[in-house]
Amino acid sequence: MEFDVDYLVQQLPALRAGFLLTIQISAIAVVLSIAIGLVGASMRVLRVPVLAQLFAAYVEFIRNTPLLVQLFFVFFGLPALGLTLSLFWSGVLALTLWAGAFQTENVRGGLAAISPGLREAARALGLSRGQYLRLVGLPLAVRTGLPAMLNTCVSLVKNSAYVSAIGLRDLAGVAFDRIASDFRAFEMLAVLLVGYLALVLSLSFAVRVIEHHLQKPFRA
Amino acid sequence: MRIFRRSLAAGALLLGLAAGQAVAQQMPPLPQSIREHGVLRAGVRCDQPPYGFRGPDGGFAGVETEMARQMAAWAFGSADKIELQCVTAANRIPQLNARRVDLLIATLGVTPERARVIDFSNAYRWGGSDLLVRRDSPIRSLDDVRSRTVIMLSGTTQAAWFDANMPGLNSLRLNTASDALQALLQGRGEAYAHDAATLIVIAARDPNLRMVGEPFAVSDAAVGLRKNEPEWMAWINAALDRMKREGLYTAWLEKWVPAEIRPPYTAAFMDPRPAAR
Repeated sequence: MEFDVDYLVQQLPALRAGFLLTIQISAIAVVLSIAIGLVGASMRVLRVPVLAQLFAAYVEFIRNTPLLVQLFFVFFGLPALGLTLSLFWSGVLALTLWAGAFQTENVRGGLAAISPGLREAARALGLSRGQYLRLVGLPLAVRTGLPAMLNTCVSLVKNSAYVSAIGLRDLAGVAFDRIASDFRAFEMLAVLLVGYLALVLSLSFAVRVIEHHLQKPFRA
Repeated sequence: MRIFRRSLAAGALLLGLAAGQAVAQQMPPLPQSIREHGVLRAGVRCDQPPYGFRGPDGGFAGVETEMARQMAAWAFGSADKIELQCVTAANRIPQLNARRVDLLIATLGVTPERARVIDFSNAYRWGGSDLLVRRDSPIRSLDDVRSRTVIMLSGTTQAAWFDANMPGLNSLRLNTASDALQALLQGRGEAYAHDAATLIVIAARDPNLRMVGEPFAVSDAAVGLRKNEPEWMAWINAALDRMKREGLYTAWLEKWVPAEIRPPYTAAFMDPRPAAR
């Protein structure tokens, strides 16, 4: 099977634009989903009256429906309800909502793993529930939950390829469109593999640096 | 006298047998690899009326689906000896080359890029492209879309045409005709470019939409086959010839195309291909 390097070089500008778009979408979705995770887990642990149930329902809904269906709902369904988002923000919203649910559970798991002794000590010292979360709970929960949160971020980056289904020209979108017209599947898929691998490895490396930094107070 | 009548009868019998043989030998032999499957595995469109779409009962429908069923009848003796598969513009050629289907009757336009990877039978019709816009749209000609967003399907002749003729165009590429129509109705693009044959049907159903009416990207449509299958190619060409000779297209068009919009489709099957941009 021949590998047409000239063809690949010709497509590089479009592929690079797609790669940048993938990074943009993934970065925004990662940040927003972690924010949702922190807020959601806090609401559930603090048992804030309406919000706790809302977040619980949100997590169940997202975890039990396919991402592709959620994406099409945001893209085609929301306009019918009066909210039309651009292609870009439809993609970001769908990915953020999806990852946000998993991050909520990741942080909640981290919070649950804190020993009851610490919680009692915090109460004995007079810390309010909010202060406990801010000073003790969340810092510990994030450290414990970091591997799971990284997992979700990696899944998010890989799943960002779904946005090609609504016409966004991210890396996958550009590659699939070119394959549909030019039939050079091998060249395009090779680029896809390398591109996503590079992204995920960079993400893992960045998280390892963060983990190292966060472990500083606990190292001898 | 009796001898004369007997020889006349014998002669008539012989002629009848010979004619019967000739009819049976109208089709070249079916290739062994196809015969082995026992059914005709054909890729057809499921989102492009009137050629290939989901009928009111949810089953396969359309003129091209009829063509496939007729081929199954001629190949295996019954129109039911068929396995129809939905294909999209983007995945039809990979499906064929991956041997999931043995032929494509899927609104496949003849282009040099595709001819590199598959073989085309003789053309059975031609088809042009057009633009579908909302009734109140200011778009009146093909050039009006230069500064606007055009919705089209990935891997179609329209996508290739716009890549070649309007490279800077903002195009929204989706995977199915239903997605594209939905996107047009929701205002995600100002025009939807696709085969005129499909757009006519859509425009006929929805009074809020109209066609721009400037045909472009006219190409022949042919059956798609894998490369290096000359026996199969010969059989397919013979089948297409026979369909034309026996006037089967007229019957199928009558079945699947409402009378008020039928003339352009009949022209596509019967008249020679016109020139356009």
